[in-house]
Amino acid sequence: MAADLPAEFDVVILGTGLPESIVAAACSRIGQRVLHLDSRNYYGGNWASFTFSGLQSWIDEYKQREATTDEPVTNKEQILENEGIIPLNQRDRTIRNIETFSFSKSEDSNIVEEIGALSIKPELLNTNPTDGDQPLQESPAPEQPELQEPQSESVEHQETTSESDQIPGANIAPNSEGGSTTDAEPNAAKVCQTESRKSITYSDIVREGRRFNIDLVSKFLYSRGLLIDLLIKSNVSRYTEFKNVTRILTYHNGRIEQVPCSRADVFSSKQLSMIEKRTLMKFLTFCADYEQHPEEYQDYKDSAFLDFLQSKRLTPSLQHFVLCSIAMVSKNTNTVDGLKATQHFLRCLGRYGNTPFLFHMYGLGEIPQCFCRMSAVFGGIYCLHHSLQCLVIDEDSKQCKAVIDSSGKRISCNYVLVEDSYLSEVTCAQVQYRQISRAILITDCSVLKSESDQEISVLTVPSEDGRQNAVYMTELCSSTNTCMKNTYLVHLSCPSVKATAREDLEPVIQKLFTLDADGGE
Amino acid sequence: MQSHHTEHLYKILVIGDLGVGKTSIIKRYVHQNFSPHYRATIGVDFALKVLSWDSDTVVRLQLWDIAGQERFGNMTRVYYREAVGAFIVFDVSRPATFEAVTKWKEDLDSKLTLSNGLPVSTVLLANKCDQGKDGFRNNLTKMDQFCKEHGFVGWFETSAKENINIDEASKCLVKHIIASETDILQSVEPDVVKPQMNSSKIPSCSACLKF
Repeated sequence: MAADLPAEFDVVILGTGLPESIVAAACSRIGQRVLHLDSRNYYGGNWASFTFSGLQSWIDEYKQREATTDEPVTNKEQILENEGIIPLNQRDRTIRNIETFSFSKSEDSNIVEEIGALSIKPELLNTNPTDGDQPLQESPAPEQPELQEPQSESVEHQETTSESDQIPGANIAPNSEGGSTTDAEPNAAKVCQTESRKSITYSDIVREGRRFNIDLVSKFLYSRGLLIDLLIKSNVSRYTEFKNVTRILTYHNGRIEQVPCSRADVFSSKQLSMIEKRTLMKFLTFCADYEQHPEEYQDYKDSAFLDFLQSKRLTPSLQHFVLCSIAMVSKNTNTVDGLKATQHFLRCLGRYGNTPFLFHMYGLGEIPQCFCRMSAVFGGIYCLHHSLQCLVIDEDSKQCKAVIDSSGKRISCNYVLVEDSYLSEVTCAQVQYRQISRAILITDCSVLKSESDQEISVLTVPSEDGRQNAVYMTELCSSTNTCMKNTYLVHLSCPSVKATAREDLEPVIQKLFTLDADGGE
Repeated sequence: MQSHHTEHLYKILVIGDLGVGKTSIIKRYVHQNFSPHYRATIGVDFALKVLSWDSDTVVRLQLWDIAGQERFGNMTRVYYREAVGAFIVFDVSRPATFEAVTKWKEDLDSKLTLSNGLPVSTVLLANKCDQGKDGFRNNLTKMDQFCKEHGFVGWFETSAKENINIDEASKCLVKHIIASETDILQSVEPDVVKPQMNSSKIPSCSACLKF
């Protein structure tokens, strides 16, 4: 099929993650001839989302690939005399450890088939008869690049996988050269049960597995953020559908509480005293246009935001709300940055709902695909499961003038954009990577029950000693199409500090979740 | 006057190998014209056809072309999402395009189901029937059997050029969609946000939500 590819394009893009897809859409839209490739057989790269069985095959594949080594392929035949090459990786190493755990109970151990599955696709029906009730699924963590090299993007992932029985197993994420930190992914799944509810079994999830998509990375978007603006301006928003995040939660004094953030919330809050309500209202009103009142914060310009909050007589609870859940900054953040963050939060309120955040239906993994569809509609050519062996560089001009694709065909082009996981360590030696620990859980009740079972929540868990970074948790309900009815999909993430993601996240998971018998939150 | 006027909006996919006439079929059906010159489809997501189904039902069909650009079969989920029916097209003068039909159908069923978990109604179109179909003739008798085995609700010999059977094929598809729709409770998802240029849809009390 690749034989049909034209031999000349204006732009060749390798990798279908969000940044690459946005560039592809932009180039096609202005009439450039775009060839957009991905070595994987799915869209999105490390931004992808999968069905339940799709995720399992993805994990299996990753584990297998971890065991193999890369043989560089180079096809010298097509290289001219005054040309050099930059070989590209044939294997993505950004996600390194994946662990999975299933906390299951009793019951079914029979082979289950997902509804609508085609009969012959064993790799999709990875029904490990780990007979269990509650499966937990852990997944990978992607990373955001800290430094970006021109012409490249970085996405780092780590994953850890291990099958464990009842207790989460640990895994180690090796450190990568050129990287500054390590990442690990713990997986944990916990289930809590309420007596009244019929418990969800592992086979239920397998059976319904095609009705929902699980993201490798979960992110919420600010309703007035740059990405929403871009979606609107580019008209890619016609393909998108969002839900409002319904609750901002925080972990405070050993309890999960809902943070009042809008005017209406503050008024109706039961956890705040009258005085606190007035103080908070006054403070947030000030933050909404703090630049107009420089005298208010002049003296604290160079001090920490927390000191400023104290100077405004915010009670410890209010300080916590503002710092951790509204501004979402650390204790050392300076006052002006804290004010800016608070203002941005407030400006995003009320655009679509009573929190500043939106979540994409069917998962974040849809967004790169929306840009790809836009690019395809405007002439971009798409070829998945197709990669590049190398870039061809003109020795005189030092410009990339062509690429050699995985079938050995030479394709000339003016511009090349390569997701940085395809670039060798040598090429990326100057790039500093940081890593993120992530966990994905499927749970059967919300961390904070409410009247509705369709809440979409974001929770910040500050570190206990204040020295580490906070852990961010998102909890998605079934109407986002990311999990089945009566379950929740939980993503946790924090910058990696310890050797494994499990070590980074397990303490928080233990605080927030319980295994079935214990009831609890 | 009875105002039992109902309107249905159906997203229909038009799938098949490169050059089998997907775009021509859509053009013929929606714009009543035909051009023999092949052009990859640029800048068009879907074409809209409005049908007066019966005295009190209007059906709006969104026909989604797989833009030749996604020619390697790597369509995005955006393309499949929420479609309720499909045409799979092959070219009777090129047997290889018929062989690909099974692949397209499997791909479709693996990526798209109705909310009740059943596959979407799909009609098979044997296009370019105005051209020589010697290679295809022999198979005609087997077509009904083929459709049954592979889960097509029907098949038609069509010609975009001569305007043969395209309306009929569409009626057949719509009939099946309406029939299968009655068992699906069309759950309209509440609270879905679609960001738009001038989305001035202000929540009931915007002042309460803001600062």
